[in-house]
Amino acid sequence: MEIRPILSALLRNKTGPLLVALQVALSLAILANAVYIVNERRAVIARPSGIADEHATFYITARNLNSDGPEQRLATFKREAELLRAVQGVASVANVSQMPLSRSGWNTSILLDQRQQRENASASMYLSSDSLVSTFGLRLVEGRDFLPQELVDLDEKTQDRAPDQVILTKALADKLWPGASAIGKSIYFGRSVEGMSSRVVGVVERLQSQSAPIEEKAEWSVIIPARRYGDTAAMYAIRTEPGQRDRVMKEAESALRKSSATPMILEMRTVDQDRQTRYRSDVALQWMLVTVSLLMLLITCSGIVGMASLWVTQRRKQIGVRRALGARRIDILRYFITENVMITSAGVFGGVALGLALNQLLVSKLEMARLPAGYLVGGALLFWLIGVIAAYGPAWKATSISPATATRSV
Amino acid sequence: MFGYYFKLGLRSLRRNPLLTALMVLTLAVGVAASVSTLTILHMMSGDPIPEKSNRLLVPRFDNGPLDGWAPGDEPSDVQMSYPDVANLLKSGQGERRTALFGIAGPLEPPRKDMPAFISSGMAPTRDFFAMFDVPFLHGQAWTEADDARAADVVVLGRAMAEQLFGDADPVGKQVRLMGSPFTVAGVIDHWNPRPRYYKLVGGNTFGDADDFFIPFATAIRHEADNNGGMNCSSKREPGYAGLLASECTWLQFWFETRSATDRRDLQAWLDNYAGEQRKLGRFKRNVPARLYDVMEWMEELKIVDNDNKLSVWLAFGFLTLCLVNTIGLLLAKFSVRASEIGVRRALGASRREIFRQFLIETGVVGLAGGVLGLVLSFGALALIGMQGKEVAAMARMDWQMLTMTFVLSVAAAVLAGLLPTWRACQVTPAIQLKSQ
Repeated sequence: MEIRPILSALLRNKTGPLLVALQVALSLAILANAVYIVNERRAVIARPSGIADEHATFYITARNLNSDGPEQRLATFKREAELLRAVQGVASVANVSQMPLSRSGWNTSILLDQRQQRENASASMYLSSDSLVSTFGLRLVEGRDFLPQELVDLDEKTQDRAPDQVILTKALADKLWPGASAIGKSIYFGRSVEGMSSRVVGVVERLQSQSAPIEEKAEWSVIIPARRYGDTAAMYAIRTEPGQRDRVMKEAESALRKSSATPMILEMRTVDQDRQTRYRSDVALQWMLVTVSLLMLLITCSGIVGMASLWVTQRRKQIGVRRALGARRIDILRYFITENVMITSAGVFGGVALGLALNQLLVSKLEMARLPAGYLVGGALLFWLIGVIAAYGPAWKATSISPATATRSV
Repeated sequence: MFGYYFKLGLRSLRRNPLLTALMVLTLAVGVAASVSTLTILHMMSGDPIPEKSNRLLVPRFDNGPLDGWAPGDEPSDVQMSYPDVANLLKSGQGERRTALFGIAGPLEPPRKDMPAFISSGMAPTRDFFAMFDVPFLHGQAWTEADDARAADVVVLGRAMAEQLFGDADPVGKQVRLMGSPFTVAGVIDHWNPRPRYYKLVGGNTFGDADDFFIPFATAIRHEADNNGGMNCSSKREPGYAGLLASECTWLQFWFETRSATDRRDLQAWLDNYAGEQRKLGRFKRNVPARLYDVMEWMEELKIVDNDNKLSVWLAFGFLTLCLVNTIGLLLAKFSVRASEIGVRRALGASRREIFRQFLIETGVVGLAGGVLGLVLSFGALALIGMQGKEVAAMARMDWQMLTMTFVLSVAAAVLAGLLPTWRACQVTPAIQLKSQ
C-alpha cells in the first residue's frame, strides 16, 4: 500500500488534516455521550408504572363544600364510590390516597426493628380501603390481596394505628429481605406508633411511587389497607373498559355533581397526563441532544467535504502529473480515500479518548452514569463510514481531472 | 483604517458567497445552541433580589432524633418544626422575620355565578411583603395587630383579584376561603419572581404567583393543611394540635438583617438558641445552627438541576466543534487570496496591517453569525418554551444574554480567525508577484 508517501505528504501540511481530525474527535466524543444519555432517558420514560392499563385509568379528586362532620363525610365518600361504579363502562373504582407519577403524595420510613439506628427504606405510601390490586391491575407475584375484612376506614383526627397487613412491591421486598420471601415478615412504620408491627401478606410485581425518580427507589411502595378520612377531599382511581375513558370521565363528573346539594370542586386527571408531565423535561433533554447530535454530524461531514475539495483543487497539478505518469483513476481515488481514512482514524482514536474523558467529567460533576464501551465502538465505526462517504465525492472529482489540462501550465 | 477594513470585510462577505454562508451558518448554529441553553441556566440561577439577597437569611437546625445520626453529619432537614418557628418569631432577631408555609383550599367567589375552585397561597407574617419587596396595587399588607390576633384578612394576587372582582378595588370586600369569610386587605401588583426563591422547598419552584396570602397565625388557627412536604422522624400525636407540638418539620423561615455584617450577630444568637434547646433536651443532635443567604440557599437546594448544566456543557462542546470547522473554512477562504496579500505587502503594507485587516474581516463574519445566531436563539427558546408555562418563563432572553450572543459570536469568530490570519501574514510578496 501507498501509506508512507501519503503520510509524509500529510506531515508536510499538517494544519488542515489536524483540523479535520479534531472535528471528528470532538463530534465522536460528544455524540457517544449524547446518544447514551438519550437511550438511558428513553429507558427511564418507558418504565411501566405498575398500572396495567394506563390509557384506561384516570382519577378524580372530589371536594365537597359542606360543613359535615367526619362520619357524614365518610358516608358521602361511600355513596360517591357507588355512583362511580354505576357509570356505564367503569371496570373498577378504588378510593386512593395518591397516584403513581402524579408528583404529589406521601412517603413513609420503614424499619425492620424499632430499636435500630437507621431506617431500612423510605417508601411511597398508598392508602385505600378498596382493592388497589384489582383497580390498578397490579400483578401479585407472591401471597394474596387483602381480604374484605382487612380493609378499614380510620378517622384521621382520632385514630392512629399501624395496619395489621400490608402489601409491598417486589423491589421493596427485595431491598428489605434480599433473597428471602417477604410473606409473613413484619415491618414497622417509623417510630411513630410504638410496638405495632405490620405483616406482609402480598408482594406485587411493581407499583411506582408518586415521583418515580431515576433510581431503584422509584418502585419502593407499600399498600396499606386503610382509608384515612376527615378531610373534605376524596380521591378515586377509576379503570374503565378499554377505549371508553373520555366518555366515562364526562359521565362520572356529571354523576358526582348531580349527587351533591352543596357545590363541589372536581379535579380529573388521566394517568397519561401525569406520565407526560412527569417526563416532560426528560423528553425535552432528548430532543435537545438529538438535535445537537444531528447538527454535529452535518457540520463534521461538511468539514470533511470542504477540506477534501480544497486539497483536490490545490493538488490539481500533482494529480495531472501522476495521471500522465501512468496512475489509473482507481489509484487517484484510492489515494484520497486512504488519506481520508488515515485522518479520520486519528480523529476516531482521539475521539474515543476524549469521549471517555468527557464521560468521566459528567460522572464526577453531574452524577451521570458510566458510558458503556459499545457506544464508543459504534461511534468509531459511524465516523469511519462517514469519513469514507464524505471523501468519496471530492476524490471522485479528482479522478476526473484530465492529465492534459492539469499539466498544461507546468 | 478600522472603518475601511470593516467595509472591506463586508464586501468580502459577498466575494465567496457559498463559503461565507456556510461559515456564518456554522457559527450561528453553535452560538444559538450555547446561548439558548445558557439563557435557561442564567434565568434559573440569577440573583432574584440583588439589592438585598445577602441580607435575607434562612436559618436551619437539626431537631432529628439521636438514632440515625453520626457526629459530623450535616443537618438533613430543610424545613422547621412549629416550636422552633414560634420561638424565632418571638425572638425579635433581625430587622424583619417571617415564617411561611404553603396552603391550598376551596375559594368561593363573591359572585354567585362563578363556581368555587381550589386556589393555592401562602401563610407568612406581615413582614413578608416588605422583606421580599412585594409591590401593592391596592391597599397594603395586613397590620401587626392582624398578625397578633390571627385576623381573617387576605392579600390577593393580582390575577386572582381580577378574576374575582374585575378591575374594581376589592379592598374591604369579602371572599370565602377554606369555609370562612376573609376581608381583603390588599392586592399585589404583578409579582412573580422565578424561581420563587422565597419558598424553594415543596415544589412549584418555577410556577405561577400565589393566589392569596393570609397571616401565618390565621392559617394555624384555621388548622390549614400544609401544601408541601413534611418530615416526621419521631413520635407524633394525631390531629392538628399533635402536629404543632411535634418535631415534624414542615415550615420555612426567613430573617432580614439591617446590614450584611449583622449576619454574625444573628449566627451567634442562633448558636446560643440551639445550645439552649440542646440543654432542654429538644435538640438531640449536636449540629451547629446554619444560616444561608438567598444565593447560598439556592445553591444548597440545587435549584439548577444537572440536566440544565449538561445541556450547557454539551452546547459549548458543540460551539467548539463549530469553531474548529470555521477555522478550516477561513483557511480555505484566505488561501485563495495569497496574491492579493502579496500585492498589498509589495505596496508597503506591514504584516501588522495585513493582520488587522483579516482579523477585522473575521470579526465581520462573527457579527453576521451573531445576528443569525440571535434569530436562531429566539427560535430555539420558543421551541424550548413549548414544553410548558414554567419552562417558557425561563426561556426568555434579557439584555445581558443579548449582549452575550454578540460577544460570544464575535469572540468565537476572531478566535477562529487567529490561525488563518497568522498564516495569511506569512505570505512572501516576492513569490506571489512572480507567479502572476
